[in-house]
Amino acid sequence: MALALFAQFIVDLLAFFAVYMILSVSLNLEFGYTGVPNFGKVLLVAGGAYVVAAFSGRFSQLLLNVAVDKDFIKDNAAVMAAVNSAFSQDIVAALIVFFATIVLAAFVGGALGYLASYPAVRLREDYLGMTLLAIGEISRVIGQNYEPIAGGTLGVQVPDPFAWAGEVRFLAFTLILLAFAGLIYLYAERIARSPLGRLLRSIRDNELSAEALGKDATKVRIKILIVGSAIAGVAGALYSFYAGGVVATAFNRVDWTFWPWLILIIGGAANNVGVAFGSFIFITARRVIEFYKDSFTFLPFDAVWLEYLLLGSILILVLIYRPEGLIPEKATPTISNKRLKALIKKVKDEAAHKDNV
Amino acid sequence: MIDPLLRNAIIFANMLTLMSIGLTLTYMTTKVPNFAHGTLVTVGIYVSMTAGQIFNLTPYLALPFSFVLGGFTAVVIYLLVLRPQMKRGASIVGLMVATLAIDVFFIGVLNIYADSVQRISKVVTRYFILRRFDFTFADQPGIFFVLPSLVVCSVVLLYILLTRTKFGIAMRAVVEDASLAGVLGINVNKVYLVSWFIAGGLASLAGALLPLWLQGSTDTGTRMIVSIFSASILGGLLNIYGAVLGGLLVGLVEVLGTNLLAQIFGVWIIPYRPALPLAIMVVTLLVAPMGLASIRRSELRAVKRRGRSWL
Repeated sequence: MALALFAQFIVDLLAFFAVYMILSVSLNLEFGYTGVPNFGKVLLVAGGAYVVAAFSGRFSQLLLNVAVDKDFIKDNAAVMAAVNSAFSQDIVAALIVFFATIVLAAFVGGALGYLASYPAVRLREDYLGMTLLAIGEISRVIGQNYEPIAGGTLGVQVPDPFAWAGEVRFLAFTLILLAFAGLIYLYAERIARSPLGRLLRSIRDNELSAEALGKDATKVRIKILIVGSAIAGVAGALYSFYAGGVVATAFNRVDWTFWPWLILIIGGAANNVGVAFGSFIFITARRVIEFYKDSFTFLPFDAVWLEYLLLGSILILVLIYRPEGLIPEKATPTISNKRLKALIKKVKDEAAHKDNV
Repeated sequence: MIDPLLRNAIIFANMLTLMSIGLTLTYMTTKVPNFAHGTLVTVGIYVSMTAGQIFNLTPYLALPFSFVLGGFTAVVIYLLVLRPQMKRGASIVGLMVATLAIDVFFIGVLNIYADSVQRISKVVTRYFILRRFDFTFADQPGIFFVLPSLVVCSVVLLYILLTRTKFGIAMRAVVEDASLAGVLGINVNKVYLVSWFIAGGLASLAGALLPLWLQGSTDTGTRMIVSIFSASILGGLLNIYGAVLGGLLVGLVEVLGTNLLAQIFGVWIIPYRPALPLAIMVVTLLVAPMGLASIRRSELRAVKRRGRSWL
């Protein structure tokens, strides 16, 4: 029994780790490498989640041809029961819905990222930060009040594309989440090591000299915001599928903008290893706190607020005393280590040869 | 007789003005958009809560205290977090992230306070309203007179401070060029401290008056941040009088505009009210990113140029 509970704890932890790692890696592309302060991460996560809420259920109804006479939002429970029982038999349909929704979430995320940054992307970084933060606040207002998206304040259940996995549903889903996280990590790492990665860093470090070399800094910022936002949209969609439901009230600034920033700064900006490490420590710490929260009943207040004090002050301390993070940015060589070593050896040999002659 | 809707709008606009003056002031001097500014408003809200709900006193009596507490909180934020960071050469984004962290920290503090007071004193500490403590004057609520006079007083006092005192001239010099001002022997740090104190004090003052008219809670200040940013950006972020104009305009448009839209499209539109200040902010950034002050100057220049070409 205890073992089953522990396994459940680990599976849940890994799922959250995967979601937050995807988010932080996308923020790392935007801020760590390019220096774009995206303080509106919550907007894109909510965008991805709203795609799951508004699209995946209705699409499943049509695809499976079940409960088509019922309204997805009004008869949400009935529709979802029918869809999920169909999914428990039909793996192919379930996966079609899953991947179609993820792709759509990426598109919606990218589009939202473009629109949200449009007013301020040409201005200084503080204006862009303020604009994105303000638009992020509005995303919740819309989700809470416009019921056709996600059922307003009540929220909606969404289809479970892993209903066919039965008892191992959470395990199977967590593995998929980790696979997504791994792929996105490799993608970000590839960007960072490519000429594009050097372009991003040059714009972050000295925009003027990058522009003097003919690079359009604004265009690059817009592009990286679209890519980062699309990834954040995917994270929002994956999280919503995992949680099995979408409630607009859950998309607040602290959970979806502040925590990814905390992970990024603590782990080390412009270093994907640091970000992965930061996500792991952060999620482990939070899940452990969550787990032991009930033993703090002697306090005259909800123990969750202690977490705010603790994590807020840790971030402030890191910002003051170690702004480069636990694992700082490293120089990324333009050629692979192997070739570099071979080159050094070759030069040394030649030098030794000359000396001998 | 004053239309209740207009009265609502005037009260809200004046509250917003006090908040945007503070945000603009700290941005002008330290060049950091303070994301924790909303939290300073909430500090004032909870000073009034303590006065009204626990001690059964009118929040008006607590106004000096909330001004000092808000100012003091802002000074502590500056001294303990932003100054050490600036000394170590932190970037603007680093400072912005720090103000976000401060915001989260204070959300924790305020909620712990609200929870504890509720548990110990058995009074309502969230979603409370203290209208019963307000006085009436000429059939109008007192706040309808107190808030606008506070705004006028603070603008006049700031005007005198900035133009008629030696310290104010030093402040303006720091706004123009902090390092040059430092070379000339101006105590830049003192200027920063004073501006943070005034900003925190005014924000907290606005917060202290808020529950006399609107519902206050632990997230009220954070929720107002969109309106505060919008008002400050409309004002140009580098001009206190711009912040006043921006605060009044955004506040009036937010209340009156929502009502107008509700009459045209129906009441379902009312919950989307925060979208209005956002729209103002977006339009400002697209049309005149330096705010109202820049429009005036460029217009004037255009008129001048035209005048010259006629000659």
